[in-house]
Amino acid sequence: MASKEGGEKNKGSQGAGDNKEKRRKESILDLSKYLEKSIRVKFAGGREAAGILKGYDPLLNLVLDNTTEYLRDPDDPYKLLDDTRALGLVVCRGTSVVLICPMDGMEAIPNPFIAQE
Amino acid sequence: MSQPLPNPNTLLPLELVDKCIGSRIHIIMKNDKEMVGTLQGFDDFVNMLLDDVTEYESTPEGRKITKLDQILLNGNNIAMLVPGGEMPGESYEAQ
Repeated sequence: MASKEGGEKNKGSQGAGDNKEKRRKESILDLSKYLEKSIRVKFAGGREAAGILKGYDPLLNLVLDNTTEYLRDPDDPYKLLDDTRALGLVVCRGTSVVLICPMDGMEAIPNPFIAQE
Repeated sequence: MSQPLPNPNTLLPLELVDKCIGSRIHIIMKNDKEMVGTLQGFDDFVNMLLDDVTEYESTPEGRKITKLDQILLNGNNIAMLVPGGEMPGESYEAQ
């Protein structure tokens, strides 16, 4: 299982006895601030979904409600269509989640990397 | 576990999956494959045991469907789980 915290690697400089007690799995992202808020989740493999965060665990498994999945162009899997499908209550696997961001304060912009003539 | 679950009301994802044991579940893989089956059980890695499964594959040609009896689905490639879900857009034949 992917350990996002990386706390499993022993750093040799720490006191040998203290190591196990002091080493804690700190999550760098506190999801409690997103509870009941609308968030966008991106998965390894290119899937994207958005929904209201109802629950989570330290492994980053998520419970989203009123979830919509953003569908991709079948010919070009990296291109998002405007099309979505409604999934309802879903569990997102933490092992696949690559990005979590709040929907509020996010907007889609035209591709800034395309050279403007 | 140091990530504080702020209140006991937070819904744990794996608890939700556990509640789904015995009912239909729709599994969405990281690639373009989806499975709908009856959840018999799962393990810590969310490998899943499913009964009476329909496999949906979205290919450029269109949907491909196969039916399988009982399967062990490797949790490595699971992206989302939708409890109670038949495939969105399909008729509720199995309900």
